[in-house]
Amino acid sequence: MGCVERADDFAARRAHLRALSDAELHARFWSLVERIVAPLIDEARTHTTPSIERSVLLRMGFSSVEARALVAGMGERGLLARGAGRLVLELAKARGVSVREAGLALLDGRGWEALAR
Amino acid sequence: MRLSPDRKLDLREVLDGLEHYRPRRRGWVWRRRVESQRLGPFVFRDTSAGLARSVPLPAAHAFGDIDPQCDVVLTTEIASGRFEDDLRRMRMAAWHGADHIMVIRTTGQSHIDGLIEGTPEGVGGIPITRKQIRATRKALDAIEDEVGRPINFHSYVSGVAGPEIAVLFAEEGVNGAHQDPQYNVLYRGINMHRSFVDAAEAKRIIADAGILQLDGAHNANATAKEAWKVTPELLVQHAINTAYSRAAGMAPGLIALSTVPPAAPPAPKLRLDLPYAVALRALFRGYRFRAQQNTRYIEADTMEATVTHVLDTLVSRLTSADIQSTITPDEGRNVPWHYNNVAGVNATRQTLMGLDGLLEQVELRGDGSLRDQAREITERAVLFLEEIVERGGYYAGVAAGAFVDSGYFPERRGDGIVRDPAGGDGAGTVIRRAADYGAPVCSHFGDNVYAQGPGKPCDDLGGCTLCDDGKIRYVGELDAEDNVERRLAVPLAERAAGVLRPEVERHGDGVVCVTLFVPASPPVAEAAALALATRMGLHAPAVISRRVMHPAEGSVLEVKGVLDAAVRIDELTLPAREEPLPEAEIEAWVRPRGIHVVAATVGEDEHSVGLHEILDLKHGGIEKYGFVCHDLGTSVPVERILDAVERTGARAVLISTIVTHAGVHAAGMRRLDESAAARGLRARLVLVAGGTQVTDALARACGMDAGFGRGTTGHDVASCLVRRLRALEGA
Repeated sequence: MGCVERADDFAARRAHLRALSDAELHARFWSLVERIVAPLIDEARTHTTPSIERSVLLRMGFSSVEARALVAGMGERGLLARGAGRLVLELAKARGVSVREAGLALLDGRGWEALAR
Repeated sequence: MRLSPDRKLDLREVLDGLEHYRPRRRGWVWRRRVESQRLGPFVFRDTSAGLARSVPLPAAHAFGDIDPQCDVVLTTEIASGRFEDDLRRMRMAAWHGADHIMVIRTTGQSHIDGLIEGTPEGVGGIPITRKQIRATRKALDAIEDEVGRPINFHSYVSGVAGPEIAVLFAEEGVNGAHQDPQYNVLYRGINMHRSFVDAAEAKRIIADAGILQLDGAHNANATAKEAWKVTPELLVQHAINTAYSRAAGMAPGLIALSTVPPAAPPAPKLRLDLPYAVALRALFRGYRFRAQQNTRYIEADTMEATVTHVLDTLVSRLTSADIQSTITPDEGRNVPWHYNNVAGVNATRQTLMGLDGLLEQVELRGDGSLRDQAREITERAVLFLEEIVERGGYYAGVAAGAFVDSGYFPERRGDGIVRDPAGGDGAGTVIRRAADYGAPVCSHFGDNVYAQGPGKPCDDLGGCTLCDDGKIRYVGELDAEDNVERRLAVPLAERAAGVLRPEVERHGDGVVCVTLFVPASPPVAEAAALALATRMGLHAPAVISRRVMHPAEGSVLEVKGVLDAAVRIDELTLPAREEPLPEAEIEAWVRPRGIHVVAATVGEDEHSVGLHEILDLKHGGIEKYGFVCHDLGTSVPVERILDAVERTGARAVLISTIVTHAGVHAAGMRRLDESAAARGLRARLVLVAGGTQVTDALARACGMDAGFGRGTTGHDVASCLVRRLRALEGA
C-alpha cells in the first residue's frame, strides 16, 4: 500500500507559494532538493560497499574474477571497512612485493593473517 | 580496421586482437553545428556538419540528393541479445544519421553482484561485459570512419555493480551512461542505501571520464497508470539525481535529463506536454536535455507510434533538446527489428529537417494557459518536495509510497511504489568506513586517506588503470559453450557459402512479416490470416498487429512467421547492369554529329517530371552532351511522335509512361514500335521507354531497345543511346 488517498487540495495547499516570483519559487525548489540530498551524499562519503571495493581493485589492475574473490574473502573476515585497495597495498609494502603479487598470494590463501592484525 | 561500403562488416576482424584494442578517445561528443548551411537549393538554420557516407531521406532525390544532418544528437536503442548482430544494426543506423547508440542490458544484469565476462547471449539486451564492449567500441570506431562522424556508445550504470561497470566504461571508452539510483530503488527493488552509496562512486567515475549521464526519470512516464499526472514528481526525480550528481563531482554539462512528453493522442497531447516541457527547461537551465519519445501508449500500430513520435519531436523543437532519442515504431509489439531502428531514426530526422528554422517564425507564448500551467506544475513539485522533507527525507518518502502514485500531486491515489529502506537486493551490505579507510585509486568518492596529500590518490600504487591503461586486466571467455565463437559458426559458414535468408533481428532468423486485408469480422479475419500464413509456408505464424477497418467489411492484419528457406547467391539471375560510358566520351561522340532526339509522354498521361529530368540541361539531362531534344509535351499520340521524327531526322525517341492502369504503358510501347516499323523508320531509330513501373525487360518485350525505371539519370540514358547508335552505325 502506498500513501493514504487524498483529494487534490492544491488550491489550499499552495497558499504560501502564490506570492512567490518564479525565481523565488525555483530557489525554494532547489533549496528543498539540497536538504533532501544532503544526508544521502553524507552517507556515501562515509560508507562503502562490496561493489565500490571491487571497483577499486579493478582500478588497481585486478581482473573482475580476482576482485570478486578478494572482496568476498575480505567481507567474510570483516575487513572491508579499511578498504580492499588499502589492505592489498599495505600488504604489498609490508612484504616488499608488487601489489599484484600481494593480491595473487591472497587469492592463493596466503597472507590473510597479516590483514587481520 | 577499415570498412568498405560494398563489403559486409567482418566479424572475424572485429574479434581478432581484442585483448590489445584500446579506444581512441574518451568522453561524449556533440555534433558540430553549422550556421546557415547551404545545401542544394536551401540554406538550413538548424544543421550540423554533413556525413561522408549516408542514405538520404527518401525525397532527397527531388532536391539534388542533399542529406542535411540535424543539429542534435540522434539516439537509437539496440537490444537484440547478440552483440555480433547488433554491430550490423549499428552500422545501418549510422548510415541513416544515428550518432548515439544505446545498448540495452540483458534482463537480470542489475541483480548480478559483480561484472560478467565473455560473450554470453542475452535476453532483451546483451550482458554488458568487457569483451562485448570492447568489440562494440572497435566496430563503432570503424563505422564512424566510414560515415565521417563520431558515434557515442552508451549503456547502463545501474544495478548492484554500478561502480564496477562505471570503471569498465571509463576504461573502455564508453561515451554515455544512464545512472540514477532512484531507478534501482523504485524499479529494481535494490536496497536504497546500497543504491545511493554506490551511485556516488559511479557518478564520480563517469564524471571524470567525461561520460554524459542520463537520468532515469522517464521511467515514471512509462510505468505510471496515468502518465500525464506524474509531471510534478518527474521534476522532483530529475532534481534529486541532478543535485546528487553535482554533489558527487559531476559538471552540469555532463548531466542530461531524460525527459518524455507524457501524453499521446487522442489525449490533447501538446496542450498537456508543452507546459511540462517549458517548466522543466526553466527549472533546469544550464543542464542538458535528452528528449525521449513516448513509449507508454505504443501498442501494435507502427503508424500510430510514428505519429506520436513526430509530435514528441515537435515538442523538442518548440522547447529544446540536446539529444533526440528515437523509439522504434515496433517497440510495442516485439523486441525491435533492425530495420525499425532505421525507421525510427528516419521518421525523426525527417521531422527535424521539416521543422528546420521553426523558431525563426513561431514562438511559445509567455502568458496565458501555457505559462499558468507551467507555473502550476512547478508549484506542485515544490509541494511534493515539502512533503518529502516533512516525512523525514527521501528514504522515508519512498517507504511511504510517495513515488509513482498516479494522483496529480497533491492528489494521492494510494498506488505508489513502496520500498523498505532496510530491505531489497543488497540490503545490509553498506559498510561504514574506518578512520583509516583508503582506496589508492583515482575517481574515488568520499573519505580516503590517499586523497589527502597534494598528488594523485594512485601515486602510492604507481598509477591506477585510469592513468595507465596498460594495467587493465582483460578477461576473454569464461564459458566454453555460451560464447560468440559458438554462435558465429553457422552464420559465417552460410555467409561464406553465399546463403541468404530473410531476417529482422539476428543473422538467418528467417522472420518475415506479411500484411493481409481479410474481408471478414475481426475474429474470422484473424483466424483466416493465420491459416493463410501457414499456407504460405510460414512457421509459427503470429498476428502482431490488427486494425478493424469495419466490423463486417474486414480487418487489416500483420502476421509474422518464420520462412524456413534459403537461396544461394550463385543461383540468382541478376538483371544485367551496364556501366555507363564516361561523360566525356559521350559528349565527344554526340556533339559533332548533332543528333536529334524526340521525346514525349505518351497516351493519356499528364506526368512529365521524370522526362524533364532526363532531358533538361539544368537537371543534368542528355542535352548537356549535345543531343538536340524536341520535347513534344504530355499526352502525345504515337503518330505525332513519328511525324516529328520524320520532320527533324531524329535518331532516337524517348517516351515516358507512368500510368500503368490496365497495361496502358505496355500498349503505348508496342504501338510506337509497330507504327515506326509501318513507316519504315524502325531500323534507324533507337526507341527508349522510361517510367516508374518500366523495367528494361518489360520495355524490350514490348519492342523497345531499352527501358529505364526509377532512379535513372540522364547519364544512363545518354550512354545507352550512344552505345545503340554506334551499334547501328557499325551494322
